[in-house]
Formats: sequence, C-alpha cells, structure tokens
Amino acid sequence: MSKAKKLFTNTRVIILLVFLVLSIVAIHPRFIEGVAIRSVGINSSAQIAGITNPKANIAPTSREVITTVGTTPIKTIEDYAKATSNLTADTTLVVETNKNTYRLTVKPKIKTVVLPELENVTVKEIRLINVTVNGTTKAVNQTFENIVLRNKTITEIVGVEDIGLKVFDAPTTNLRKGLDLQGGTRVLLQPERTITSSESELIIDNMKQRLNVYGLSDVVVTEAGDLTGNKYFLVEVAGANEEEVKELLAKQGKFEASIKEAVVFRGGGDITYVCRTPECSGIDPQVGCGQTSDGQYSCRFRFSISLMPEAAQKQADATKDLAVISYDSNGNILPEENQYLNQTIDFYLDNAKVDSLNIGKDLKGKAVTDIQISGGGIGATEPEAANDALKNMKRLQTILITGSLPVKINIVKTDIISPVLGKGFLKNTMLILLIAVIVVGAILGIRYRKLQITLQIMFNMAAELLMMLGIGALIGWNIDLAAIAGIIVAIGTGVNDVVVITDEVLSGGGANEPTGLTWKEKVKRAFFIVMGAYLTIVVAMIPLYFAGAGLLRGFAITTILGATFGILITRPAYASIAEIMLKE
Amino acid sequence: MVGYESSKSRRRHEIKQMLKQDSSQNTAVLPKQVVVKEKKIAPSGFIKKAKYFYEQHYKKMIFFTIALLIVSIILIGVKVATTGDFINKGISLKGGTTITFENAPDLDIIKLMDDLKANFPKQEVNVRELSATGRQLGIIIDTEVTATEDINVIVNFVKEKLPVSERGYSIETMGSSLGNSFFKQVFIAMVIAFIFMSIVVFMLFKTFVPSGAVILCAFANIVETIAVVNLIGMKVSTAGIAAFLMLIGYSVDTDILLTTHVIKRKEGTVIERIFTAMKTGFLMTLTAIGAVTAGLIFSESDVIKQIMTIMLIGLIFDIFNTWIQNAAILMAYENRKERKQ
Repeated sequence: MSKAKKLFTNTRVIILLVFLVLSIVAIHPRFIEGVAIRSVGINSSAQIAGITNPKANIAPTSREVITTVGTTPIKTIEDYAKATSNLTADTTLVVETNKNTYRLTVKPKIKTVVLPELENVTVKEIRLINVTVNGTTKAVNQTFENIVLRNKTITEIVGVEDIGLKVFDAPTTNLRKGLDLQGGTRVLLQPERTITSSESELIIDNMKQRLNVYGLSDVVVTEAGDLTGNKYFLVEVAGANEEEVKELLAKQGKFEASIKEAVVFRGGGDITYVCRTPECSGIDPQVGCGQTSDGQYSCRFRFSISLMPEAAQKQADATKDLAVISYDSNGNILPEENQYLNQTIDFYLDNAKVDSLNIGKDLKGKAVTDIQISGGGIGATEPEAANDALKNMKRLQTILITGSLPVKINIVKTDIISPVLGKGFLKNTMLILLIAVIVVGAILGIRYRKLQITLQIMFNMAAELLMMLGIGALIGWNIDLAAIAGIIVAIGTGVNDVVVITDEVLSGGGANEPTGLTWKEKVKRAFFIVMGAYLTIVVAMIPLYFAGAGLLRGFAITTILGATFGILITRPAYASIAEIMLKE
Repeated sequence: MVGYESSKSRRRHEIKQMLKQDSSQNTAVLPKQVVVKEKKIAPSGFIKKAKYFYEQHYKKMIFFTIALLIVSIILIGVKVATTGDFINKGISLKGGTTITFENAPDLDIIKLMDDLKANFPKQEVNVRELSATGRQLGIIIDTEVTATEDINVIVNFVKEKLPVSERGYSIETMGSSLGNSFFKQVFIAMVIAFIFMSIVVFMLFKTFVPSGAVILCAFANIVETIAVVNLIGMKVSTAGIAAFLMLIGYSVDTDILLTTHVIKRKEGTVIERIFTAMKTGFLMTLTAIGAVTAGLIFSESDVIKQIMTIMLIGLIFDIFNTWIQNAAILMAYENRKERKQ
C-alpha cells in the first residue's frame, strides 16, 4: 500500500480530517465587503424604514451587511462614514444590504438657539387637570400661560439626524472577536449582598432589558462567581465606548414618586407606559434651557407616563387632604387655574431626589393615570446641558420601563477598550503567532534535520489552532486576551507532546533495536508521558475556572478544551502519521 | 532519512556500548576510590563529559538548586516583611485605573509625568511607555483613582497634548476590593491546582520521592520566578497571574518526561535515561523559549509582554530545576534503590 493510501485510510487520520473540515465549516470563512449592522437606534430613520436590530447571539457571518448607501458602494467603515456624512434632510436614502433594500427618510435635526436679546414671552405651565368625559375622570395636561421676560429663541434646522445605524467591518468568519480584539466596554458588577439564583436571573434579564431599551443590542450579560461564593455579573458591550452604560447598570433603579413621604407610585409595575417619542418626551419646550446663577447652563426634560389605576388612586388619596396655595410669594392672589397644592410631588431614583414638582389645584383628590415626569441636566455650555438632560432622561425612561433590581449592585471593574487598539491587537497577535511558528519550526528543523518531521509538527500546530478556533466559533465564545493566552498554552503543550512522541518513536530507529520495542509499544510509552502532562494541566486549570470573578475563566476553558482535543484527536493522528511516514 | 537515522543510532549504540564497558569495569572490578581517580582522566566528547560530571557531582548540584530556592524564598520573605505582599501588585490587582493611549509615538513621557504630577498633586500617577521592538508606540498611565470624573480629567488633560488623530484611548478600571479578592482567589486556585497536580503526579508514578521531586520542581519554578520578577521591579497584573499558572503546565511537562524515563524504563543506565529524556526535554523548552521570546520582542500589548516575560524567566529556571535538581534527586533515588537491592 502506498503511503498516501495508508494515510487516508487510517482511522485516526480520518477522524482528524473530519474535525478539521467541521472546524472550517464552523468558522465559515468567506470573502465579503461591506459593513455589518451592529445595532439600530430606536425611532431612527433606519428603524422606521424596517431595518431590525440583530439578535444578541447571532452568528457573526449571519449579520446583515450593508453593501450600498445611496449610490456609493460600501466596502469599509470609512466608506460608510463618508456616504452618510453629507445627507440632506427629508430626502430618501436607499440602503442596500445582502438581505434587502431599504428606503430611509433622512430626518432633520432641529436646534433651538437662545439669542442675547430679551423679549416678553408667554410661558406655558403644564398642570394636570381632571376632565370628566362620559362619566369617567381622566387627567389631562392643561396649559396655563404666564408672561415673562426671556431670551429670544429661534429654532433652525442644523443638519440631519443620524440615520441610527451602528456598523462595523463585515466579519469574514464566525469567530467572535472579544472586546480585547474589537474594542468595547466591559463592566463587572457585584451585588451588595448574597443573592439567590432566581434573583440573579432577574438581575441578568433586567440588565439585558435595560441595555436593549437603551438602544444597545450587541450585549452579553453573564454571571460569574468565585471560590468563596461571591456572585458577579459581567456585562460586555461590543464595539463602542459606552461610558453611559456604567451609569445605567450601576443604578439599582428604585424609582419612587412620593407626596409628603407617602410613596404614590414606583417604577416598573406601577407604570404601564413610558412615552419615548419626540411628541411627548425631550427637552421641555416650555422651559427649555437657561443659565444658572453660577454661570452653568441647565436644561429641563420631560416625558409622559401612564400609571396603573391603583397607583393613580394612591395619588388621589395622598392629595385629597392637601391645602391649596392661592397666593404667590408677594401675597397677590393667583388666578384660579394657577393655584397649586401645598405639597410637591417628589421623584426619587435610588433614594436621591431627581425632581420636585408643584401639583395643580385641580388634581386634588383625583385619580390621574397620565402624568408627566421631569428632571434636568447641567453643563458648561448650553448644548452640553441639553445633552446631559437628554442622557438623564433616557436613563430614567429606561429604568422606569425595566423596573428596579432586587438588590443594589456596585461596579467593581470596568474596561473601555478603544476599537483601534483592538484592531491593532489582533494584527499584532497574528504577527506574533506567525513569528512564533517560524521560530519553533526553525528550532525543530535544526534538531531533527528533516523537513518532513518539521512540517508534520507544524501541520499538527496548525490543525490544533484550527480546531480550537472551530470549537470557538461553534460554541460562540469570544476570542479575547484570556482565550489567546489559553490557545498559546494549548498549542505550546501540543508541540511538547508531539516532540515527545517523535523522539520516542525515533528512538532506536526501528523495531530491530536492542530495546526490541515495537512501534506500537513506543507510541504507548510516549502516550504515558503525554497523558500525564495533559492530566496535570487540566487539573491545574479547573480551580482557575471557578476563581476570581471569572476573569480567567476564558483562559481556563480554552486551555482545557485545546488540550483535550489535542489529546483525543490531533496527537493520536500525529502518531499514526508519524508511523506511516517514518517507519521503514 | 535512512542515512541520518542509521548513523545517529549507530553512534548512540556505540556510546552505549562504551559506557556499559565503562561501568562494568568500574563498579564491578575496581574499588570505588580508584574508580573516581580513573574517571577523572575524563572521557572525551561533550555529552560524555557531561554525563561523567553528572554522575560525580549530582549531590552537589542539588545543593546549588536548593540554595537558589532558599535565596528566592528569603528574597520573597524580605519583600513580604517590607511591603506586606509577595509581589509588586499592578493596578489590576490593587485597584486603580490604567489609561492607554495606544497611538502617541512622540509624546515625551518624562515631561508628561511631570505635568501630571504638577496638575494632580493629590493622585499617584505613573506614566509608562507602550513599545514594541524598542520603539515607542504610545503611553500607559497608571493611577489609583477609580471615579469616572477623576479619570476623565486625566484623559482630557492628556488628550489636549495629542494631535486629533492620536486621541484614541482605552481605560481599564479595577475596584480595589475586587483587585484584592481576585489576588487572594487566584492564590487559593494556585494552591488547589498544586494539590490536584500532586495527586495526578502521584497516581502516575505511585512512588513518593519522584512525585515529590516533580512538585518541588514546579514549586521552585514559580517561587524563583516570583523572586526575579520582584527583582526586576515588574508590577504584576491579572494576566501576569495567569502566566504563573501557565508555568505550572510547562514545567510539569518536562518533569513527567524525565521521571517516566528514569523510573518507568529499564533500558540503559540511569544517567543514559536522563540524557535521553534531556534531549527531548531541552527541545521542548527551547521551542517554548523561542516562541515566548518572539512574543516578547514583537508584542505591542503590555499584557502579552508581561505574560511572555514571566514565562521566559520561568522556563529558564525550569531547565535548572528539571535537569539539575529533579534529575539529581531521581539519580540519588535510583542509586539508593539499587543499593538496597
């Protein structure tokens, strides 16, 4: 039988080849140009046009890839940035993906500019008024007008709103690049007290929901632990420097509205609807922004929510005994519709007061289900203040929708990795891997002085790498720094093992040596060493899997998996190949 | 292949024959003192000389490696006594923030350090170079602050000194409580790993002394590496801790190889078996050192550099601890066994 025939009819070799093919299938390498959609902004023109947010655990090569924007073919992120930079408001933008063609309407961006000159303006104050329609009482916002001297403002279209797509270079394989390789934000949180497993499930769900409601879909939330039983939550947001995520996650999210110490409603269950469309949420058009006494700017936001009837009833009970204030601070009598109650309604987030509002006289004792939540933001400049206010609003809306966590959690570690660094890191890792393989190959070449053995060992290294990446793609684990370290260990021990096998089978040169060992016996002897080394590395890695908030979990898993596949598949195959190729 | 193999094996065979003759003459016929004298005339050839040296001096060699271990333990002891920790904890182990500006080749580190110190006198700020193949790529700032606002102040301060194109940065913040608990945890994990490993090694060889020697070797590798890491002033990060664990794996490989050859096999003399194992083991360690050195030189990542540095130090110690200490222990063990028989 020829060597080639022997090779390809050997069971171990066939098993190896099958696994290699499966690995390639799992990795699914492809040639593609374009940018993949990472996430779609809520209410953005992209979402309105029908582009959907990709599912969190979607395989990288299954993501929708944008190939053309307008008439420009898109190959890289730079192309995409260029194509979307000079859009005109209210025009149609055709976005072609590998799955569909979408027609987006570009939204104008409107800005309110405060001018230096003053003017008399009618400032509206919104209060809740009960209206009885067909016998049922419903609270509606009624506007009262006050005339005050204020800065003149004009609104103008300052450009276009972002179309709402976050993209990245289309993945060419199913390998999930971890944060270290693609950039992103990683937050490790620890609950303040020990929690039950149902609580921890609740927290994970809530966090995922919070991030999704906030507009981040490419998130991974997992639980981690350590040897003393502490629990942690690891949140990874890929590809973006999302510093706000920290703020969002660290909040327990206990929202309470209270009147005179009595809680009238809470975030989550008491709230049936939170408005997030521009018509009923955003910078408060009546109040807007202004400069405070200390030279900073402050802006007010508002959005409306709907309450459960029970919560509305509680509010009615809390207000029914309050006194009405009918005089202003100068002692002048206020018009009927401007009179308000002697207690404010106070909003608290995690026990810190967010805002305090007067309650209109008409609301006294009425069960109102639609009310408005407000708050503010500050900044050194007006746009900064407006931005801060909107950020606070978005966070508050998110928390009101998702409700609160059963326990307070603290941020214990954050990593914000710039995408550029990630990209560079990947390139650099490949370079090192290549150089390391060459160096190892050269050393083996010098030692064995036989190209065949060197090539065989290098093929073994490549096969192990491919298989590890294949498993990685299959189980969807992220290739990050820890995993790379694990891969290095596994491949390194792989080289060690095949060196042991090679030296063992070459010892004495053949079966006719004085030691009188058959080829099979030699392989068996080699495998005793290989197996011993394998077992020690696996048992050394097991405690690491459970230790230290899971920071080295990826390292432990990769090493164990790599070593296991090595000993089960590649090393037996190596021994067979060596036998077929080297035995005289 | 044929030529290589046969000439090689022929040579090996010749050596074996020679040594067999040697040893039979020496041990059986001549009184011991004479043996030593006669052997001192010295066999020719490096390998033979080395084998000869080994057989004559293995007990002294154990003292050398044990002394190395003791010195390392003393150094670490001093470290613990003076600082309370047995390693220099990096930011990720003691809590704090590491800010990396990965693309700032022209930023003057010393000047930036002075500027930061002048502007943030209350905070401990340290600036390092991020480099590959000796070239500055960017800068790394270590500070003990963890609050977002404090970090942003420093980030913005540095940003202003950089051209717009070089303003990309990464921030890694570790809370001090997690840093400390992580450190303790990995320490515990390492102890457990050692216990598990010892059990496996004992199950493999089923004898106390050889198994103990393997464990001692792995222990010595780690302890001595820690001592050197301290001496060069490296601040160990979470990834560095992983490197110490990687070291266990690599050091045990060669020890199992050696021990298997010496106590599980019967062909040749003990010293021959040691040298056969050594030939394989050196190649294993050498390939690892080669790969690690490549990583050390070409890596642009501070973390990878640290892993590689620790591995390199550990692998070098592994050569001594396996092929001198462990080999010598095994030789003493085997000689004693023979004498008993």
